[in-house]
Amino acid sequence: MTLSRRHLLGAAAAGALLPTLAAAQSLATIKSRGKVLIGIQGDNPPWGFVNTSGTADGFDAELGRAFGKFLGVETEFQPLAVANRIPALTTGRVDILFATMAMLPERAKVVQFSKPYVANIIQLVAAKSATVKTNADMKPLVIGVPRASVQDTQITKNAPDGTTIRRFDDDAATIQALLSGQVDAVGGNMFYLDRIGATKPGVFETKLEFTRLFNGACTRLGDKELNTAANSFVDQIKTNGLLAHAYTTWMKQEPPASFPDAIDGVPFIAA
Amino acid sequence: MNIAFGLKEFLFLLTGLKWTIFLSLIAFTGGGAAGLLVAVARTAQNAALRRAMMLYIAVFQGTPLLMQLFVVYYGLGLIGIQLPAWAAVAIAFTLNASAFLGDIWRGAIEALPRGQTEAAIALGLPMLSRLRDIILPQALRIAQPATVGYAVQLIKGTSLAAIVGFIELARAGQIVSSQTFAPILIFGIVGAIYFALCWPLSLYSARLEAKFAAAR
Amino acid sequence: MGPDLDFAVVMDHLPEMLMGCLGTMALALSGMSLALIIGVAGVMARGSSLPWLRRLVIAFIEITRNTPFLVQIFFLYFALPAAGLRLNPTVTSILALGLNGGAYAIEIIRGGVQSIHKGQIEAGLALGLHKAQVFRLIVLKPALRAIYPSLTGQFIMLTLTSSICTSVAAYELTSVAQRIESDTFRSFEVYFTVTLMYLAISWLLMTAFAAFSRQYFSYPTR
Repeated sequence: MTLSRRHLLGAAAAGALLPTLAAAQSLATIKSRGKVLIGIQGDNPPWGFVNTSGTADGFDAELGRAFGKFLGVETEFQPLAVANRIPALTTGRVDILFATMAMLPERAKVVQFSKPYVANIIQLVAAKSATVKTNADMKPLVIGVPRASVQDTQITKNAPDGTTIRRFDDDAATIQALLSGQVDAVGGNMFYLDRIGATKPGVFETKLEFTRLFNGACTRLGDKELNTAANSFVDQIKTNGLLAHAYTTWMKQEPPASFPDAIDGVPFIAA
Repeated sequence: MNIAFGLKEFLFLLTGLKWTIFLSLIAFTGGGAAGLLVAVARTAQNAALRRAMMLYIAVFQGTPLLMQLFVVYYGLGLIGIQLPAWAAVAIAFTLNASAFLGDIWRGAIEALPRGQTEAAIALGLPMLSRLRDIILPQALRIAQPATVGYAVQLIKGTSLAAIVGFIELARAGQIVSSQTFAPILIFGIVGAIYFALCWPLSLYSARLEAKFAAAR
Repeated sequence: MGPDLDFAVVMDHLPEMLMGCLGTMALALSGMSLALIIGVAGVMARGSSLPWLRRLVIAFIEITRNTPFLVQIFFLYFALPAAGLRLNPTVTSILALGLNGGAYAIEIIRGGVQSIHKGQIEAGLALGLHKAQVFRLIVLKPALRAIYPSLTGQFIMLTLTSSICTSVAAYELTSVAQRIESDTFRSFEVYFTVTLMYLAISWLLMTAFAAFSRQYFSYPTR
């Protein structure tokens, strides 16, 4: 069979269609596939982690499964390292992120956040014996953070110029760095102290609080349908008790009485 | 140390090991099949084909495996191919294997006396038969020590999937170590498991090499 | 219309990436030097008359060559402090690269030393050469020539292996790439560019090694 010009044009048209398909509305694809691919953190309990049976578990996993039910499809989780979360979404590896995604304006430029569904506190954890009362006190410390995490952003922003900041692959490495003494302090989320205290109780405490943040589910920019579905889902779980259940199970506390209606620089609804 | 290292933690390491073995097998068989094509193309009559293969091999031998992983992992999604993490990672390792094995087998093919090929052509054997019955069986035998040696590199290389967040043996160890904080014990065990996988292969490769050296 | 690629944003960070290249070269050269020292020392220990020393060296070689570099460097960085030795990321990386490279170097150098026929040494002494001249001209130079391809190949691999040191927060090209990725979110563009840089680095090393070989080793052998 010889290639005619018609064949080549057909192939070119099909090829040009491919990337467009990747940027299109994914809700239809998800429904026809029968499965939603959810990005989650692989080693950050209690939000997202892989339990000893090898399945994704935690706060985000519980909500992720509920989201699959909400869409009427199966759920498949992809555990991701902190720095891989946004790239995994933007390169099409996953459909949506329930991955402890703090709602930051820089991130809102590359991904679409849903309405917030969980609150988080970013803080500095160091030995009780260390004197850290203000941001300036961080200067002599060697501080560890997971690369590209919100702790990374916060500490890079708030620590004085010239502070040594070591960026590790993930939470597991960062926590080990503190426990082994390789760093003097770490930037953690509100559960770091629990995790660290479980292994070496009584040695560390939280020193500084940088910011209270809210996390949202992330979809690709322009993927309006999935964003609308995510927002309806978040609205629903706030009223039907699902969010409260996840909070008491994993966070050991009640959900906040209210979530902000708007966050500066972070739109909840796809344009 | 508050949380003791027990059966639960060890089983978690074993789930990581499962992935290490799985990735290694897929990459070795897939890469082996592709590597045959690379080796044959690399020794072909067509000069352009030979040079293309030289470039392909040079890229994989001249860049870190970690970078190859990253480029394939992020690149696949960009061109619209949506695959689970294990598949993207497996493809990267398979490509690496195809280049390295292709180069090893190319060397073995070139080590065969030219007279073999000439005699086969004189006997009127078509190229496919020449390769399948005469060249490749001998070349692959000569290449056995180096091939097994690469298998060891591949098994060790799967540990890098940890850096893209994939939970294979090394990353499972990292997670368990952060929970129990017994790094000497945990990394010692993880190292021992890799050693148990790799050392027998290395010994086998050394034995093969001695056998061929003696025969020569 | 193709995938949405933006290399311009990445190229804005070119100065940082070039600095990262220097970081990689620094780690690689330091690691190589340590590996050579361990290589020579290891060969001498391997040939010692003390059986426990020989077995220790063999154990070191087998363990290092059959475990992944990532696990080795994790051990040095996270586990050693528990035993009292806390090293910063740079020193840890150089140590890890040196030990890993050294394990391979021991075997390569041993092969080279063994390739010198005893008869050559005897002939040299019989011709009236001093012991030092015999060592330099008859043992060292030909042995180096024999192992040169394997040794330089191993050193280039060591340079590529240095990319793994990013996992203990060392300063080199890969960690710089990851920093830029978290700033720009342009994962593919960053890693593609950095991969080309590694390719350039290994090509430069190969060219340099080849030039040295032509200069120093092109003498007839029979």
